[in-house]
Amino acid sequence: MKKVFLIVTLFIFSSNIIMFAQQHKTQNSKLKIENAWARPAVKYSNSAMYFVIVNNSTKADTLLGAESKAAEEVEVHESFKKDNDRMGMRPAGKLAIQPKSKLEFAPGGFHVMFLGVAKDFKMGDKIDVVLVLKYGGKIKVKAEVRDMPTKQN
Amino acid sequence: MKSKRHFPYFNCENITALEYRSDKKFMKLQYYLLIIILFWSCKEKFPVIEEFGDTNYNLVDQKNQKVVFPDFVKDKIVVMNYIFTNCPDICPLSTNNMRLIQERLKKENVENVQFVSLSFDPEFDSPEALRRFAGIRNLDLSNWTFLTGDKSVTDAVIKKVGVLAVPNDSTVFKDGRKIYYYVHTDRIQLIDTEGKIRKNYKGSTIDVDEIVADIKRLL
Repeated sequence: MKKVFLIVTLFIFSSNIIMFAQQHKTQNSKLKIENAWARPAVKYSNSAMYFVIVNNSTKADTLLGAESKAAEEVEVHESFKKDNDRMGMRPAGKLAIQPKSKLEFAPGGFHVMFLGVAKDFKMGDKIDVVLVLKYGGKIKVKAEVRDMPTKQN
Repeated sequence: MKSKRHFPYFNCENITALEYRSDKKFMKLQYYLLIIILFWSCKEKFPVIEEFGDTNYNLVDQKNQKVVFPDFVKDKIVVMNYIFTNCPDICPLSTNNMRLIQERLKKENVENVQFVSLSFDPEFDSPEALRRFAGIRNLDLSNWTFLTGDKSVTDAVIKKVGVLAVPNDSTVFKDGRKIYYYVHTDRIQLIDTEGKIRKNYKGSTIDVDEIVADIKRLL
């Protein structure tokens, strides 16, 4: 009797894990990270990463933060305008990504900030970053180091 | 009897030859006046915002060489921005725009223009920090100088040019290093050959076409 109970419990537990993993995968595959790039930076200084999160699902998600071994600390920040022509920067907190929409991280706005980069970020380098989402889980991103694309280019 | 003044636009029949000639002269005069007004209004797009006059500042460049500013750029058009190298977003954006302006001028063979970037965080931005900041971005320093110096001097320069930079936040790293983040004026400035500030632009969103056209008009 004990054996049957144990088997049933294990079955329910494992099927729950499989279901959760599948759900996780489905959500994750509907979230795409596009055009990830980061600014050049000298070792111990700071850099910023930009990208676009595309949420193709019908469910909203939330960006909780970012992780990377490429810097001492990694935070989600935003540049803000103060008065007429002054600019500053502050932590952006958790950011919602609405269903069937995009959230853009762009120069002068939201960015993932690398504080104290572990090595020089040279042009063409690829920086490994993990974006942490509430439902989408952890998404690995490679950001290429380069200067910003501009309309003049 | 003195004849009444006639306006040819309304009644051509009443014009005498003399009146016609004087009206023609009057119209010519109007044209000249219009040209002068147009010229004046174009010139007014470059009012003098501030001028250095005889005031000079002792600073150092990215090679740690002494530089007397603005004396060292005398007789040159200067494109200048104000930065701190720990700035991750706005200052690199402004610096990249300076690079785009420099590339454009080079492409169009526009000479006698000097680029200057002044740090308002000299306690962190040593000449070496500035040299590495420029180096990692592959900037062409043939006509671009990065400046730093004593805090009292860099503060005096930014005060003179109307730039504000206030520490807003800081990060302390595990090894005790502390860096500051500033709320600061986002600016690229155009200075003429006589050390007069002629126009301010937003550094992060500057229109390259606009400043290139302005430089050509000032040359």
